[in-house]
Amino acid sequence: MSLGPFTRERSQLGIYVQYAVVCLFILAPILWMVEASFKAPTAVTAYPPHLLFSPTLENYATLFETTPFGQYALNSLIVAGGSTLLGLLLGVPAAFAVSYEAITWPATLTLAARMAPGTLFLLPWYILFTALGLVGSHTVLVITHTVITMPLILWVMLPYFDGLPRDILEAARIDGCSPFHMFWRIAVPLVKPGIVVATILAFVFSWNYFLFALVLSGFDSKTLIVAAFNFVGEGATNWGALMAAAVLIALPPLALSLLVQRWLVSGLTAGAVKG
Amino acid sequence: MGTMAFGRSGASTAGWTRRRARFAGTAHWLLVPALAFTLALVVFPFGYTFWLSLNDYQFGHSARFNFGENYAALLHDAVFWQGLGTTFFLYFLSLALQLVLGTYVGLLLNRRLYGQTLARTILMSPFMMPSVVIGMMWLVILDPSLGAANYILGLLGLPPSQWLASPGLVVPVIALIDTWQWTPFVALIIVGGLQALPIEPFEAAFIDGATRWQAFRYVTLPMLRPTLLTAAILRSVDLLRFFDIIYITTQGGPGNASTTLNIYAYRRGFEFFDIGYASAIMIALMALVAIVVLALMRLRRSL
Amino acid sequence: MTGTGRIGSALLAAGIALAVGSWCGAARAAGDTVDWKRFNGQTITFLSSNHPWAQAVLKRLDQFTELTGIKLRVDTFQEAQMRDRLMTVLQSRSSDVDLFMSLKSREGLLFANAGWYADLRPLVNDPKLTASSYDLADFSPALLKAEEFKGKLAGIPLNIEGPVLYLRKDIFARCKLAEPTALAQLPDIAAKLKACDPSITPFVSRGAKGALAYTFSNFLHNLGGDYFDAAGKSNLCSAPGKQALQLYADLLKNYGPPGVVNYSFLQIREMYGQGRAAMAFESSNEFGPIMQFPGRTKDSDVTLLPPGPGGVSRPTVIGWGISMSAFSQDQGPTWYFIQWATSPAMQTALALDGIAPPRVSIANSAEYKAWLAAEPVRQEWSKSLDTMARTGTSEVGPPMEQQPEARDILGDELQQMILGQVNADQACAAADKQIDALVVREQHH
Repeated sequence: MSLGPFTRERSQLGIYVQYAVVCLFILAPILWMVEASFKAPTAVTAYPPHLLFSPTLENYATLFETTPFGQYALNSLIVAGGSTLLGLLLGVPAAFAVSYEAITWPATLTLAARMAPGTLFLLPWYILFTALGLVGSHTVLVITHTVITMPLILWVMLPYFDGLPRDILEAARIDGCSPFHMFWRIAVPLVKPGIVVATILAFVFSWNYFLFALVLSGFDSKTLIVAAFNFVGEGATNWGALMAAAVLIALPPLALSLLVQRWLVSGLTAGAVKG
Repeated sequence: MGTMAFGRSGASTAGWTRRRARFAGTAHWLLVPALAFTLALVVFPFGYTFWLSLNDYQFGHSARFNFGENYAALLHDAVFWQGLGTTFFLYFLSLALQLVLGTYVGLLLNRRLYGQTLARTILMSPFMMPSVVIGMMWLVILDPSLGAANYILGLLGLPPSQWLASPGLVVPVIALIDTWQWTPFVALIIVGGLQALPIEPFEAAFIDGATRWQAFRYVTLPMLRPTLLTAAILRSVDLLRFFDIIYITTQGGPGNASTTLNIYAYRRGFEFFDIGYASAIMIALMALVAIVVLALMRLRRSL
Repeated sequence: MTGTGRIGSALLAAGIALAVGSWCGAARAAGDTVDWKRFNGQTITFLSSNHPWAQAVLKRLDQFTELTGIKLRVDTFQEAQMRDRLMTVLQSRSSDVDLFMSLKSREGLLFANAGWYADLRPLVNDPKLTASSYDLADFSPALLKAEEFKGKLAGIPLNIEGPVLYLRKDIFARCKLAEPTALAQLPDIAAKLKACDPSITPFVSRGAKGALAYTFSNFLHNLGGDYFDAAGKSNLCSAPGKQALQLYADLLKNYGPPGVVNYSFLQIREMYGQGRAAMAFESSNEFGPIMQFPGRTKDSDVTLLPPGPGGVSRPTVIGWGISMSAFSQDQGPTWYFIQWATSPAMQTALALDGIAPPRVSIANSAEYKAWLAAEPVRQEWSKSLDTMARTGTSEVGPPMEQQPEARDILGDELQQMILGQVNADQACAAADKQIDALVVREQHH
């Protein structure tokens, strides 16, 4: 919703200033982190903090040498991508149904999984998936991460579906459209911005989630985020490597969000919802 | 259950949601995959945990059924009650900050300005980073002797703070860290909600001579309430189970000042080997989260 | 390892590699009864902590695969995460993990009572599985004892570590102070240091609740105290107990850095490394990282905690051990790896990487001595570890199965003292009461 003709000229500058301040607050610690990834490990906690220093790429080099970064990144991609996809397949139709039929209990039920502390699942799921022979596979990670992504996607999509004009859907119904067609042909195209937001959020949640992978991942399916913990330890904390790992871990979700944002913008200008 | 007024309140087609949907039962089957999936994966862990909570069960020992003894012990556990208080304090503080700031940033993001895509991506970056890194980063920045935070305070002429080492300040500081990390998330959801708002009420308001603030307070905010509540619900389930940042930075300290219920459950279960009792704490926590979420949903329903 | 020793140690490392290779060759040539290729082609799984020992060993994994043809799948996690995963796996009695690193001083009693460790003694005594050169008796007696539970050998010691006092001899010289020779001198020396240079923190040690038992225990034992009395009751309210609590809390409260209640090895290492502290009482494991900070190698001294009244010195000493899971289905190949990784030749090589050897013979080896000779502070470090190995005790927290909880009770009370919320009498009384209750609870399981 843009205020269009109601925007005054001089308040534009004020807006930009606010933008800058907000960005600065958000960015400052991140810049510290990126900077630290280029510092020698013993320089990170130097006091007073050094703003200027001679950068080194050694941390990134060590990272690639000591950990199979590519393998882990691929695993993370498979797990996050797979669970996001599965979450969309399960959650988006469910959100439509909840909105259309005006019932809440299914949404609450799917949220139940998110009400429990993550550690609750560790022991029983390990037992269950060992019995099914799935421990260590990518499959088990995709499935368990979907428990995280699906409720998120459902709840993010709800307001978007709620905002659809009922007339269009009723008209379709009267024309003999099946619920699935109503959903797929009419509703989904109209809520594309919502799907984009839900996808980004779900992907990021899944990408950064370590608890399930800690217990259920195997030698071949270990994810990047679990490996990130390895840089912190007695006799071994390597700040540089930790921060370098952090930068690298954050890159794929950032790239994804940059990519899909173009869709977000185009969704805004569509204006189809306003009618 | 019954009929619920989802969607825009007071907006165009006002009456339809109060009618029992004539087409009830048609789209229901779209729910089945999600529900089946949830039940399949969640029933066993919940049942197992509930059973564990009724037992005296240590890692490496065999279970001994003790009925509700764990729950009785919970009621007398000072750390549990303190944890409850800490959890709520952290929750309300963080939620309030994130909703307010998230709305503010959402309104900012909603305008069509230059560099918008880049700005959005920058603003989302804290949320993209794993908690272990965020925790370690703030641990260093906020260290009273080694970190940049006290250095900056010094530059501003302010006295140094103990930040995470102060029993009184630790919870607000953690709330601030969490706010830094999650405000973009809330902002994203708010932006979505703002997009869906119709333009007519605003046109009417400005024609009536409303100021920007009045338009926001009396037009935007009421219409934004469902979105705000969605954001609140999504943040609530995570805030009430606060774990990651605390685990990395203070492990619940100093003392038990930052021991939330989730931290306490983990400590009793995986550190002190007492999974029976830890399960009771987890069940209690789940009940708490369920109550809060249901309360929020009732609020959403009444709009 | 720093600077000057690098080329020298590279040559030494090459020499060691040669020695290890020839040891293997010699073993075969000398008609050793062990067939190293017996389990050729099998795979075993190792759940490892992110410990310097593991990192150093895994660097040399190729040699093992070449020797035996056994494939090793390693999962490395940070200590706490590793323990979470390990306990989940063992609780489910799964054979997913064949061997793992275990800190007996923390979880040994619990795991042993649960029957989670495989007994290694029959394997050690089997001449078909263990080379004669392996020599179990070579290990430090204290460490080996810590690996034994109810007559079973639950693991093989991997390293030796304990808290040591790092001090800046240059600051001491500048402030015209002698280094402490008795425990009681510490507060006084700290006060003088503070007066001499207010910008330096006189003393830093652990204040984090779950971590401080490690350093506190040394204070308690040097003052002649013990966690339990002869009747098995918690003994912190005894005279030495209260003294120890008071001394530790006062040192940190009055002379420690702000925010010390959150401090563990991480912050202490950074603080001392950056030159912000005059004395740091922290694990010997941090020696390597600390010496990497510029200047520390030359201006530091390393000693044990000064003795208490009557010259009593009972340093805290612990060691990681490598253990085999009782549910492993591949005992043979797993034992081969354990044997290889803890063999004399391997430990010599690891010693040069800064891993303090649990084997007595390594400490006396020529190569190790050469590495030590390169820097005086290394010799001090090694000497401290030697003394520790001979006179130390593994009692980190009150010795019981619920070790972590007992440490937490102690830590909680000490923290309150450091924060000035309670005095020694209140703290020791509360701690004793809770620990005694814990003992009672434990006996019911």
